[in-house]
Amino acid sequence: MSAIEADRLTKRFGSTTVVDHLSFEVGEGEIFGLLGPNGAGKTTTIRMLACLISPSEGSARIGGHDIRKGALEIRQMVGILTENPSLYERLTAHENMNFFAEAYGLSNVHEKQSRVQELLEFFDLWQRRNDKVATFSKGMKQKLAIARALVHKPPILLLDEPTTGLDPESAKEIRDMVEGLSHQEKRTVLLCTHRLEDAERLCDRVMIVNRGRRVVVGTIDDLRKRIGGQPALQVGLRELNPKILEIVKELKQVREATIIDSPNRLKIAVDDIESATPEVVRAIVYAGGMVLSVNVLHPSLEDAYLKLVKEDRA
Amino acid sequence: MRFQKAKLVFRKDWREVSRNWEVVLPMVILPLIFSVVFPLVVIIPSGATKPGSYESLQKSLPINVQQELAGMTDQQVMLYFMLLYYFAPFFLIIPLMASSVIASDSFAGEKERKTIEALLATPISDSELFLGKILVSFIPSIAITVASFLAYSTLVDALCSPIFGGRLLLPNPVWIMLIFGLAPTVALAGIGLTVIISTRVKGFREAQQISVVLIIPIIALVLAQASGAVFIGPVMVGALIGGFAILDLLVFNVGIRLFGREEILARLA
Repeated sequence: MSAIEADRLTKRFGSTTVVDHLSFEVGEGEIFGLLGPNGAGKTTTIRMLACLISPSEGSARIGGHDIRKGALEIRQMVGILTENPSLYERLTAHENMNFFAEAYGLSNVHEKQSRVQELLEFFDLWQRRNDKVATFSKGMKQKLAIARALVHKPPILLLDEPTTGLDPESAKEIRDMVEGLSHQEKRTVLLCTHRLEDAERLCDRVMIVNRGRRVVVGTIDDLRKRIGGQPALQVGLRELNPKILEIVKELKQVREATIIDSPNRLKIAVDDIESATPEVVRAIVYAGGMVLSVNVLHPSLEDAYLKLVKEDRA
Repeated sequence: MRFQKAKLVFRKDWREVSRNWEVVLPMVILPLIFSVVFPLVVIIPSGATKPGSYESLQKSLPINVQQELAGMTDQQVMLYFMLLYYFAPFFLIIPLMASSVIASDSFAGEKERKTIEALLATPISDSELFLGKILVSFIPSIAITVASFLAYSTLVDALCSPIFGGRLLLPNPVWIMLIFGLAPTVALAGIGLTVIISTRVKGFREAQQISVVLIIPIIALVLAQASGAVFIGPVMVGALIGGFAILDLLVFNVGIRLFGREEILARLA
């Protein structure tokens, strides 16, 4: 059974359609990325899935519950990291966690205290537990907001831009943590982001959305291949003369050869990297070229993403 | 409806509210002025009251009050009127001001600080959230009003008892009706109206500034009594309790309808 199923989910605010017939499924334990530029409808989608706002059209099921009928059950099984950390800054970290633990139904004092302590220790906040959240750094607030989302051990996590505004070290910690939640604890994660680095590192599958509509869905590799094309060879030479370029272009396995970002580097598009690489290198050496480096260039998710969003805008 | 959840929201909001000096300061200063400064300002110089100064005032009062004042000295008449009648409506400003300041912080403030989304994502129902927030606005307002009344009564009795031959002026039936009957209905009206205002504005200060206009009818009551147009007796207080109870029903009816997750989030900045 899918943990999240969205079927033609649509949200309109007045005459503006923010989410437009979005359909997707997220399997149990999967990290599914919702990628898109600002204003693509990612946050509105998360709000609908968390039963904060109701859809104008379409439906969705979270853990088997319909978002229109089972709001309380869904809120109980979902942990949400909102766009803003949404923390009570006049309260301490401990008071924030205790409040949300009780709000999510952890009424047993011992169970609540041990869960709160476990999470604050995990996020390295235990020493600061009695400090007001207003005194925390942005990274600490983000960690505390994620700890809050996990306090009731939800099987499904909805994370809206979890690494935005964080320094590289904190962002890596958050990514490691999300990866661990999915791979070790088998929690389902819907990750909403416009940071391709996060999607590339974490997501099993991604869906690119733009202007509320689904542009494409698939694994990162799928998208790279389908949109960014096949991998290419990059050959660095001590000196590149027109004769070498001509010889490379004439090779049977080579589809295209171009000089890239430096006069002595070639980008060579081939049908099959493994069989073509020795042929290409041999041809260059026979033509008198001195090979300094050979790399395989994989199309990036960024290339695919930018291409898709640009096409969609057009 | 789980009362435990409403209590949880109440506890959390009270912690927040009690750490906000913008909320605490007016809730301390105004009651202190009304319950300590006002009576001192009237009682201390009252010994210098000139004979005959309050004859015209006495004649303008209702017959039953004139009977209460019969046989009193000028100083006693002045103190009796000022302390028991003139200052009475000021004690309605306390619950109104306190409730609207706390409700502004609790409803509009939570939107402004962008903490509302995580709260709305919890499995606490709309009615539990609403009740918790009403309680945090209502209970402290009434507690402050009662505490101010006790301080005022103690001070008035302590300083006036020698002047009135050992007689204790407060509490009397009108004041008991005022504090325990009218003040709660006034506080609820303040909360209900602030809830409605809070759904339309984006921040605590904006809500608080608009809520200030709620005090105007109370000020009008003070002025009306000073001019002799109305008189705060048991009938008047009873009528006001009835009027405010109807207003409470109306504003809460509207407030509850406006207090929905979707409505609140739609208005988030």
